[in-house]
Amino acid sequence: MRRASGALALAGLLLAAAASAQDHPAVVVTDPGARTFKAAVQGFGDRQTKPGPEHVAELRQGIGAALAGSGVFTTIDPKAYLGPDTTASLDGSPTCPDWSQIGADALVDGVVVSGEQGLTVEFRIWDVVRCRRLLHKRYFGDAGDLDRVGRRIADDVVLAFTGQSGVAATEIAFISDRSGRKEVHVMNADGSDVRAGTHNRSINAFPQWSPNGNEIVYTSYRLGGQPTLYLLTRGRNQPGPLLQRVDKGAPIYRGVFDPAGRRLAFVMSVDGAPDIFVSAPDGSGSRQLTRHRSIDISPSWSPDGKRLAFVSDRTGSPQVYVMDADGGNERRLTYQGSYNTAPAWSPDGGWIAYETRVAGQFDIWLTDPDGRTAVPLVTHPRSDEGPSWSPDGRWLAFSSTRRGRADIYRIGIDGGNLQRLTSDAGENTSPTWGPFPGSR
Amino acid sequence: MDWALALYDERRREMRRLLVLSVLLHATAVALFVWTPFPQRDVVLPGVVTVDLLAPSALEGAPPAAKAPAPAPAPKAPAPPPEQARPAPPPPPTPPVEKTVVLPKEPAPAPKPKPQAAPKPAPAPKPAPRPEPQRSYEDVMKQLRQEAGEIEELTPQAPAAQTARAAAGAPAGAVAGSGLSSGRGVRVDPEEAAWMRRARIHVRQSWVLAPGFRTQNLETHVQVRLDATGNLLDEPRIVLRSGNPWYDDGVLRALQKASPLPAPPEAGEWLFVFRPEDWL
Repeated sequence: MRRASGALALAGLLLAAAASAQDHPAVVVTDPGARTFKAAVQGFGDRQTKPGPEHVAELRQGIGAALAGSGVFTTIDPKAYLGPDTTASLDGSPTCPDWSQIGADALVDGVVVSGEQGLTVEFRIWDVVRCRRLLHKRYFGDAGDLDRVGRRIADDVVLAFTGQSGVAATEIAFISDRSGRKEVHVMNADGSDVRAGTHNRSINAFPQWSPNGNEIVYTSYRLGGQPTLYLLTRGRNQPGPLLQRVDKGAPIYRGVFDPAGRRLAFVMSVDGAPDIFVSAPDGSGSRQLTRHRSIDISPSWSPDGKRLAFVSDRTGSPQVYVMDADGGNERRLTYQGSYNTAPAWSPDGGWIAYETRVAGQFDIWLTDPDGRTAVPLVTHPRSDEGPSWSPDGRWLAFSSTRRGRADIYRIGIDGGNLQRLTSDAGENTSPTWGPFPGSR
Repeated sequence: MDWALALYDERRREMRRLLVLSVLLHATAVALFVWTPFPQRDVVLPGVVTVDLLAPSALEGAPPAAKAPAPAPAPKAPAPPPEQARPAPPPPPTPPVEKTVVLPKEPAPAPKPKPQAAPKPAPAPKPAPRPEPQRSYEDVMKQLRQEAGEIEELTPQAPAAQTARAAAGAPAGAVAGSGLSSGRGVRVDPEEAAWMRRARIHVRQSWVLAPGFRTQNLETHVQVRLDATGNLLDEPRIVLRSGNPWYDDGVLRALQKASPLPAPPEAGEWLFVFRPEDWL
């Protein structure tokens, strides 16, 4: 508070100084008129040896859709363009006024070129208001990659204008019983292209990504009904076991990689009451962090890997706590409500999302890691559960029964832009948002 | 939530019936129990497992439902090479790219680099035409509030009301001429105040602030040179950076888009301050 006042005083002095310098007070603008930029996406020039208009069209459509879903951009209908509809060349710069006049902030132009191994998509991102090129980049792939390339380009546009990449190219893992059993599934962050990750016809739960996005750790009851952790690896057909070095007899309910991918926090029940442990992924160096006769579960790492949020019912009802990664400094965060669980620490470290029970259903709230403030984010008469942050911190995925069956949704952290990602296929729960593809 | 693995499903069905969860431990115990039977229904599991060990898919290797036959593009990810290739613009490309902003600009520096800006306005107080002796903290606050507030309901001479307003957080008729009565502060004549209001409204319409920026206490000061009809004479100049280059760029874009502004009372230099919401 004092710091704020100091900043304020300083700002005030600066204002006054500058103002008197020019003999005018400053014009203070505090209320931005819009929250979305406008983008024009040209049709990319087709330089393929064998022209593939469908490729080019698919790419443009993909970029536009991903931008529109970003919550940061809207796209301009090509019918309104004053400039050319299709990129003729990447030499020189576009005629910026043609684009700024129609209200565009951004212009994406590019070409698709046949390369030695497939396609090269080369593109540029322009700030047409200031007529600056913000990015010039190439992606390599083949025709089958164009969907993903389009997403990557859209994410680049968001990055160029906000400093934070979009999440169109990220994935969300979740549990779905659409096949009759609860299996791990993966989909794009807009809900498209759902794939099954497990087919073990047992019960699988609590998927969590490794920080590089190449693995998913999950809990499975596939062996003799004893829950334990497995690792699903991208491109490999066989899930591998984890924590081989810990007590085989103890049920393990959930595992979460630390942000560096070197440690695994997990919930294990050794004496009847689940506690939180940390170890290397193979189980070596295992260390028990909580020692209560109560239930201690749901660990969630702080982004710096130094703390863990978790849930304990040591006071008689489940509440959210934080502790240091060595188990010290346990502190209770939530006091409102008799049932708070499923904490999820935001990527910037500033917030912890959690479920709170209200009138028999669950809402999603946010609290700061000191527990000073708590604000509702998702409230609905039906249950909203299992919050998971997008890697850019702009979105939360969660599951909700608002339409009867549980489906996965995502919502902007300012409470806008609610989108349903799954539909009409079983119960879909436990979403967990993967990292940026760049981290692979 | 882990133990609630079981509860999870039951919650929905049994929510109403669930007795007070005071005996959570029991519930848990139950939950844990409940689980055991589940898999037992599939006691056949070992067999099943073997089977699916052959089939199980990896994240992308799995997508039987998915489209192409080679749905495991993990390796041929379109990305890796380009990342490096990124800064490699082709031939001598765009002329206007004086300082090609290759993506990862300076990632937002530390806090507000106030020091940078400080030097600029600092010399200003000296030539200040107005008697600006020791401005008390209150004065500064007052003025700041007034400038941030609505200048529209300009009531230049209202010394009494003024103090009252200031005390009340000065939302209402805050005047940029705070010190009128005492001779301190910056005097704003009604015409100027009216223009400032119009300019503010005009500029805000072209200012886009993406979600996420609002909560960061970002503030940028920009000096612009306007001709008598409100046209920007040259590129706006940042005199105080926010610390977030993308935010600063957005501010510059807003001013350029806004040109021409409403015709100012006089041509020359004007200072614009961009500060999402009022963090006063």
